Amino acid sequence: MKIMVCIKQVPDDSVKIELDESTGKPSVEGVEPIVNAFDTYALEMAARFLETGIEGEITTITMGDENSKSSIKNCLAVGASHGYVLHDDLFEGSDAQGTAYALGCAVRKIARDEGGDFDIVFCGIETSDETSGQTGPMLAESLGYSLVTNVIALEKKDGVLHVKQETEDGYNIVETPMPCVLTAARPNYDPRYPTIKSKMAARKMPIGELSAADIGARSDKTGESASLVKTIELAAPPKRKAGIKINEEDIEEASLKAFSIMTDANVL
Amino acid sequence: MTDRNVFVYIETADGESVKVGPEMLAPAREAAGGGKVTAVIIDAQSDQAAEKALIYGADAVITAACEAAPPENTVGILTAMAEKYGPDIIMIGSTPAGRETAPRLAARIGAGCVTDVNALDITDEGIVWTTPLFGGTILENVGISTDVQVVTIRSGAFKCGEAGDPSGEIIPEEIIMQDGDVKTKIIDSVVEISEQVNLEDAEIIVTGGKGMGTEEDFQKIQELADVLGATVGATRPVIEAGWTSRAHQVGQSGKIVSPKLYIAFGVSGATQHITGMIGSDYIVAVNKDEDAPIFDVADIGIVGDAKKVLPIFIEECRKLKGI
Ligand SMILES: Cc1cc2nc3c(=O)[nH]c(=O)nc-3n(C[C@H](O)[C@H](O)[C@H](O)COP(=O)(O)OP(=O)(O)OC[C@H]3O[C@@H](n4cnc5c(N)ncnc54)[C@H](O)[C@@H]3O)c2cc1C
Ligand SMILES: Nc1ncnc2c1ncn2[C@@H]1O[C@H](COP(=O)(O)O)[C@@H](O)[C@H]1O
Repeated sequence: MKIMVCIKQVPDDSVKIELDESTGKPSVEGVEPIVNAFDTYALEMAARFLETGIEGEITTITMGDENSKSSIKNCLAVGASHGYVLHDDLFEGSDAQGTAYALGCAVRKIARDEGGDFDIVFCGIETSDETSGQTGPMLAESLGYSLVTNVIALEKKDGVLHVKQETEDGYNIVETPMPCVLTAARPNYDPRYPTIKSKMAARKMPIGELSAADIGARSDKTGESASLVKTIELAAPPKRKAGIKINEEDIEEASLKAFSIMTDANVL
Repeated sequence: MTDRNVFVYIETADGESVKVGPEMLAPAREAAGGGKVTAVIIDAQSDQAAEKALIYGADAVITAACEAAPPENTVGILTAMAEKYGPDIIMIGSTPAGRETAPRLAARIGAGCVTDVNALDITDEGIVWTTPLFGGTILENVGISTDVQVVTIRSGAFKCGEAGDPSGEIIPEEIIMQDGDVKTKIIDSVVEISEQVNLEDAEIIVTGGKGMGTEEDFQKIQELADVLGATVGATRPVIEAGWTSRAHQVGQSGKIVSPKLYIAFGVSGATQHITGMIGSDYIVAVNKDEDAPIFDVADIGIVGDAKKVLPIFIEECRKLKGI
């Protein structure tokens, strides 16, 4: 079983990112880069799946700049055996379609190099920065694979893949042929942490670097000029007017005060 | 003003349109200008949803009788409809199924795709779609450069238009599924959450966070909600602790809500939560940490122990409502 997990490096999602009015860009300066949360869930699910006694390996890939290597290193410390960074000026400014196209080319190329197709290509349902959720489904289209979204567990039963898909009121068990693309939702556990030993081991593992030429990506299919969705501008959401903060020793008095403001405002 | 033909795919559940379905007809009309708004419904029982679409402003409804419509079928059917009718815009609700359908459809027909649209602006250069970044702390205005534009619309972002007379034609379409269109199979469907929690339409929501401390204390949130006729909301850690079901979750991976009043007890105010409730008209927050980020968005903030404030609120509401 060969599993590819697509990860994206994003700014720490516990830090509130706002529009920097002076640059017109998100205030990501100095914010620690992390692996997108849903991608860590994908990796953890893949690792647990193989730990049920299924022979196989996990490869992880990201399309991003030079320093996204550190995120791949983190993945190598928690279950992945191979890591790749897809990096080229050509990819810059890609929309989801361009990203999915490039990832698709890379998946095929790595499969050829590593000797055999991937059975499962895992993505997160969405990233915390773009929050677009388009890349996984588009990747399935570009590879011609089947797709199951909102995955919270997987299991192999009588040789076929059974995927647990979270729904609004419960879950589905979906049978899917392989190769397939899956998108990970949040399972009801946290991903594992690396140990000192696994971190040391990851540090020594090679990370493959691939350019557009390496994967045979066409310039009319990826990057800014091929982007079908163009950013016009970023804007700050309308600010809420400053409220009243009641900070008093006597909690009963504070509560009653708040309550009377609420009744005056006619919101109850 | 450019006239555009707009397709609105209305997802159904048990023959009824999902909430965002009719809501999309308002922005669809705006985007259409003098063009035509056509609802598309894929369901063996489409009568109710079709009538509703006409009432809320569709010029016509295309119906495709198909038993279940998992996203795989939908993508195939919408691709065929798009090819036959050539719409300029295809709107789809931002439901879990819609978020799967839209990018696949866009990839198939070579269209640009924008998800989670919560506003639009018609300009001389084209339509500007607004979509959240970083869970909504930043808004991105984008344009789509392809002839056909595919967008998903966030539930609750647009209000349903005025109800009118259901005039307009219903066009039944034959569906011819291509071999290989459907690769996956749902072999079991399990309902774990039987309670109906309608956070999206709630006028008042009372939410408890992890700061409620224990399940027992969290249950008191329900007491206040009952007095106020409100719906109970929860943060993700509360659901993970098993204090209540996932149907109550507000936030990025829960429901996006816009009540008249939102009261939050022991909620820190992480962006993933704020993004789900920032659209509330009036926000009251109780937190013992005076620097909790929830206070940045609150109209009234009480610094103090939520467990002490809650019974006082219950008592005062009882008096107010005379119960
Ligand atoms: C990909 C992703 C998606 C997510 N989606 C969601 C989502 O949809 N919805 C969501 O809610 N979260 C979501 N989260 C989680 C989110 O990041 C926060 O962890 C969560 O919102 C915090 O919940 P909380 O405020 O209840 O708990 P905490 O952050 O633990 O905060 C508890 C608060 O209670 C206060 N407190 C403690 N005791 C008292 C007391 N006695 N009285 C008053 N105040 C007290 C504390 O000061 C603190 O501010 C998501 C996270 C990720 C990574
Ligand atoms: N640059 C990237 N490199 C690798 N994977 C990506 C990249 N961008 C998006 N993905 C994958 O696609 C998922 C959805 O991303 P998005 O469409 O941006 O919300 C992510 O969770 C990742 O699994």
